[in-house]
Amino acid sequence: MSILVIPCFIRAQSDLNCLRRLLDSVRGQSKPFEKVYVVDDASPLKYEVGRHSVEHIVLESNGGPARARNVAINRALEDRAEHILFTDHDCVLDTDWNTEMTSFLSRTEFGAVGGMTYSWGKTLLDYYHDINGTLAGKWLLPDRKELWYMPSLNFGIKAFAAEQFPFDERFPSAAGEDVDLCLRLRSKYKIGFCPTAKLWHDYGYKSTITGFARFVRLFKKYKSSSATLYEGHTVLMWDSSESIYEGNIHEPRLQV
Amino acid sequence: MSLVYRFKANHPNFTHTLQDYVGEMVPFARRVKNPLLVAPLVLLKSIEWSIYRWHKTPLRRFYGIKSNELIYMITNACNDRCPKCGIWERPEPKSQHLMINHFITCLKRLHNNLYQVTLTGGEPLLFKRDVVLIADEAKRLGVPMVIVTNARLLDEAFLTHYKELGHILVISIDSVERTKWNEFRGTPSFDIVMPKILLAKRILGDQLRIQSVLSKQSETEIPKVAAWCRQHGLQHNVQLYQDFGAYNWSNAVTPKEMVDDGTPCAARKNICIYPNGDVVKCFDHRRIPLAKEPLGNIAKQDIIEILCTKRSTEISKIMRTCNFPCKHMSCNKPQALLFRQ
Repeated sequence: MSILVIPCFIRAQSDLNCLRRLLDSVRGQSKPFEKVYVVDDASPLKYEVGRHSVEHIVLESNGGPARARNVAINRALEDRAEHILFTDHDCVLDTDWNTEMTSFLSRTEFGAVGGMTYSWGKTLLDYYHDINGTLAGKWLLPDRKELWYMPSLNFGIKAFAAEQFPFDERFPSAAGEDVDLCLRLRSKYKIGFCPTAKLWHDYGYKSTITGFARFVRLFKKYKSSSATLYEGHTVLMWDSSESIYEGNIHEPRLQV
Repeated sequence: MSLVYRFKANHPNFTHTLQDYVGEMVPFARRVKNPLLVAPLVLLKSIEWSIYRWHKTPLRRFYGIKSNELIYMITNACNDRCPKCGIWERPEPKSQHLMINHFITCLKRLHNNLYQVTLTGGEPLLFKRDVVLIADEAKRLGVPMVIVTNARLLDEAFLTHYKELGHILVISIDSVERTKWNEFRGTPSFDIVMPKILLAKRILGDQLRIQSVLSKQSETEIPKVAAWCRQHGLQHNVQLYQDFGAYNWSNAVTPKEMVDDGTPCAARKNICIYPNGDVVKCFDHRRIPLAKEPLGNIAKQDIIEILCTKRSTEISKIMRTCNFPCKHMSCNKPQALLFRQ
C-alpha cells in the first residue's frame, strides 16, 4: 500500500494552480496511490482541492513542512501504509512515478528511495538546476551505490523506517529538514536511487532575467540551514558526495 | 606541538578559498556540453558558491543529534610532575580560572547534542567540588560523563557518589612497578595511588577504565600494564605519545607511521574548553592556520553563538580532512576505537 504525502502552504493563486497541476498528474498515474494526503499548513489562501479524491488535512497553525509531513506520516502509519511517498505542490509526476518508486522499495533492501528530478521551466536558471543537480539528490562517494541525501520532493520511505525517523519539526521552513532526515536515516538504513522515477519541479522562473532574484533567494534559504546541519551532523557529514544530474544517473557500478 | 595555543591573530587562508572555488567549478564546468553556456552557467555556480561561503544568514539555529563530545580541560594545575607532560608547568592564575557556572550553562545549552562530556586537565580532581557539580548536572541532563585522572585525590565518598551517577572514570597509568611509576609520575605516588585504584575498582566496577601512553620510555611497561588490567578485569586503552609542551619523552612510533596508518581523525566532533573558558574545536587546533586563535570564550559569549560563527563552521569543514599524528589522542579517536579488549 503506497500513500502520497503533499505538504503545502498556499499563498497565491499560482501556488494553487501548481497544486492542481500536481493533482492532475497524481490522477494520471499508471498505478494509482491507495491514498493521497494533502496537508495544508495553515495556508493564508483558502481553497478546495475539488474533484480530486484526496484527503485534505488542514492544520490549525503553521508549523513548517516537517510538522506537516509528520502529521501525514502518523496518519499513514495508522492506515497501515507500506510505503510513504513525498512530493511538493510545485512538482509534476511522471505517469509511472508511483510504479517505479514502490517497485524499487519492494524489490530492494533500501530503507528509502529518491527519484530523478528535472526542472519544469525552460529558462537558463532551470537548465542550471538540471546541470547542478540542485534538487536531484547526491550520490554517496566513492561507490555511488546509495544516496547521501535526497530532497523530500521526490522521496519515498518504507513505513517502518518513517516510524523510526520522523522529520525534525525544529526546522521551521523547507530547507535542511530533508538533509537532516537523510543523515539520521543513514545511521540505520540506506537510501537508494531510482533514475526511472521521474518528476519535474517548477522553480517558478518566468524568465532568466526576472527569475534571478528568486534564484538568489533560493540559495540563501538553503544556506540558512547549512550551519545548523554542519554542527549537528559533524561525523556523518564527513562523507563525500556528488550531486546527481543527467550525466551520472546511470552509474555503471550501481547495484540495485 | 603543544596543547597551549598561541593568541596571535591569523587570517583566513586565501589559498584554501581558491582551492575550494576551483574544486567546485571545474567538475561543474565539465558537465556543461554546450560551450556557449559554460561562461553563464559557471557565473551562476559562482553566485551559488559565494552565497554558501559568505552569506550571513539571519537565522542560525544550533541543532543536532548526539554526535558531539564536550571536553573541559578544567585546570592546567596538577599534583603530579610527569616528565611526559608540560601542562602542569603552566597552571592558570586563579583570576583566569573559569567560574563553574559558566561551564554548567554551556553544558545545559549543548546537552541535546552531546554523547559525552569529558573532564581532563591537569588534574581535574583538584577541583573536586566543581567536578561533582558537573557530574550531577550531566546526570540530570542525561549526558554520560568521563573524568581522566591520576587518581591521587580519589576517596570513598567521591567514588560512591560517582558510581551512583553511572559515569566513567579513566585513570592514567604508564607502569605498574613502583620505581618506574614514581619516575613516570615525577612524584613518589605509587604507594598512595595503587590502593586507591583498587578501591575504585571495588566501588566502580565496570565504570573504571585504565589508559596508558605509549612512548619509547614506556614501551616496555605498557604490556605489563595491559596484563595487570586483564588480571583485574579492567578495560585498557593505549594512546600514542604526544608532546604536551614538555619535550622530555619521545614517540615509539614515527610521525609518518602515525599519519599513514589509515585511522580516521574524529576531532571534528569535539567542542573543547580551556581552563579560562576559551573554546576550540580540538586541543591541537593550532595546526590549522585559521584556528590558531580560540573561537570564543564561554564566560563572555553563549556557546551556541560561538559555534555558529562562520569561522567555526569553516574550521569544522577543514577538519574533515585532518590527518595529523594527534589523531591518535583519545579525544580525537572515534569512540568505536577506544577501550577495545
